[in-house]
Amino acid sequence: MSGYVREVSRRVFAQEFRESNLTFKDGDDQYSPQYLLTPTGAKVNRLFIVGTLIEKEDIGTDSEYWRGRVSDPTGSFMIYAGQYQPEAAQALAECETPAFVAIVGKPSTYTNAEGTVFTSVRPESISIVDVATRDLWVADAARRTLERVKDLDNMDSNVVKAKEHYNTDKDHYSSMIREALRSLKEDL
Amino acid sequence: MDKTAESIKSKFLELGVDIPLEDIVERLDKLVTKFKVPLDEARRSVITYFLKENNLDRNAFFGGQSTTPDSRSTPDVKLNGIDEGGKWVNIKAKVLQLWDSSHESVSQVGIIGDETATIKFIKWSRDTIPDVEEGKSYYFKNVVSNEWNGRFEITLNKNTVVEEIDEDIEVISSPMAGAGDGQPAPIVNVADIAEDGKWVSIRAKVSQLWDNSHESISQVGLVGDSTGTIKFIKWTSAELPDLTEGSSYLFNNVVAQEWNEKFSVTLNKNSSIEELDEDIEVASSSIIFAGAMVDVQSGSGLIKRCPECKRALTKGACMEHGKVDGTYDLRIKAVLDDGNTAQESILKRELAEQISGITLDDAISMAADALDQGVVLDQMRLKLLGKYFTVTGSKVDRYILVDSIEPQDEMDMEMLDELIADAEMI
Ligand SMILES: [Zn+2]
Repeated sequence: MSGYVREVSRRVFAQEFRESNLTFKDGDDQYSPQYLLTPTGAKVNRLFIVGTLIEKEDIGTDSEYWRGRVSDPTGSFMIYAGQYQPEAAQALAECETPAFVAIVGKPSTYTNAEGTVFTSVRPESISIVDVATRDLWVADAARRTLERVKDLDNMDSNVVKAKEHYNTDKDHYSSMIREALRSLKEDL
Repeated sequence: MDKTAESIKSKFLELGVDIPLEDIVERLDKLVTKFKVPLDEARRSVITYFLKENNLDRNAFFGGQSTTPDSRSTPDVKLNGIDEGGKWVNIKAKVLQLWDSSHESVSQVGIIGDETATIKFIKWSRDTIPDVEEGKSYYFKNVVSNEWNGRFEITLNKNTVVEEIDEDIEVISSPMAGAGDGQPAPIVNVADIAEDGKWVSIRAKVSQLWDNSHESISQVGLVGDSTGTIKFIKWTSAELPDLTEGSSYLFNNVVAQEWNEKFSVTLNKNSSIEELDEDIEVASSSIIFAGAMVDVQSGSGLIKRCPECKRALTKGACMEHGKVDGTYDLRIKAVLDDGNTAQESILKRELAEQISGITLDDAISMAADALDQGVVLDQMRLKLLGKYFTVTGSKVDRYILVDSIEPQDEMDMEMLDELIADAEMI
């Protein structure tokens, strides 16, 4: 019997991802999965992003270590791929910028000396996609974010935790969603 | 706390599981000291954890007695006297049926009977108890009764002693016993199969044959009639002819089995199969799922199958037939993800060719050029990952067996307008 359940790839806009800084483990042993809880209550162990790769750079010293910046209508995601993400690192090394890319990856956080938390993505896969897929993703991410914003009034434990930690401003995120969706109409 | 840990350890020992004391203490200590859990609650939590780890039923533990019984104090009972879980009993019974087990942790599972009743029994692999044989009668000493979803079964454990006896135990006549006597079990609708261990006959069509990797299983898949579909398992030991996808059959004397609240039917030595001329209509259990393809799993791409049993080969060898000259096939095991659900989906050759644009012939020559079958999977991942698809198919266990797949490559403007309207309202 397999108790293994694959983690769902959450849809989070770059702005909300950047504004996230609360991580926790679900369970108390070393194999418990780690999650990033976002201000609208998304519990993220894996995420799916489609956006535009606007920068890439090999910042490795001994071995290749790629940093990329992927933008969506609300901001940008930082992605890092090194020897432990060989497929993704190779894809980054080979691809041109700018390019529409689809990324499946894990959220990662880094806290600097001042205590500021920076979020980034460790990609499991990076693939080149077309603009239609990118637009579909914006609508997809908007729908899932909208669902979470609507659920901000309920008592789900993740929502409660998120609101306590971030003091989430509903209007802030609903206007982010509206702008992202409007950008889809403007492009057409 | 040490006392609690020791009592947990000795209880598990009775069930035949030896858990290191320090593992129990560590878990217990963490809960009590670090997480301020009351000892009683912590104890329950630790027990639940290890029961789960070892695939054990709660009843066996919480209903069990606190000391190891010896067979002199354990009562001899008739099978119809088993009416609660967690009891230590001795039983004289005949082994009526052995089912092949597809779970590694189970060494033998089947049905035993006496003149009063029949009951399912389970023997775990971790306990070194000699195997029992079908048709022989035994004295089972120190077995534990379990209740599972309102039905009873008995579990052999570390303290169990099994002695073969000369006496041929007479067994109550029931559909279960009848099946062995060549009397066919009654024909039922697939949707009405709801009792574990019951012998039935069904008229059904083979709607799907799946890959299988257990050498004890000759075929596995889905059969259905107008009322529903059900998984079937045909054991190798049943020595039955192979079934063809799309053909309809009368399946005589198959056993209904429940695992994780889902039913399947197993075809065994007492089963028989007759192909029917008619084409049985199968209830549609089709579902639609739309999402992004977030993974193309290993085992996808160009694979080889055993020419005899169609199993996918691992390193050129079939689980059952050993090293064989396999035949090539294409398939895709994909994960589609809609942001709320990660859905595993299996695509057969035609569909894999359709969406990847790589035909089986292309794949074979690609692999030959690269001297590596893996290039096909790499190409498929490049082509498919991150794109949106809509699939229809039947949901079986955690998979969708895909009947059709369409790439989603255009925005549905109506949907977008609705979404915008929805976003304006908050
Ligand atoms: Zn074979």
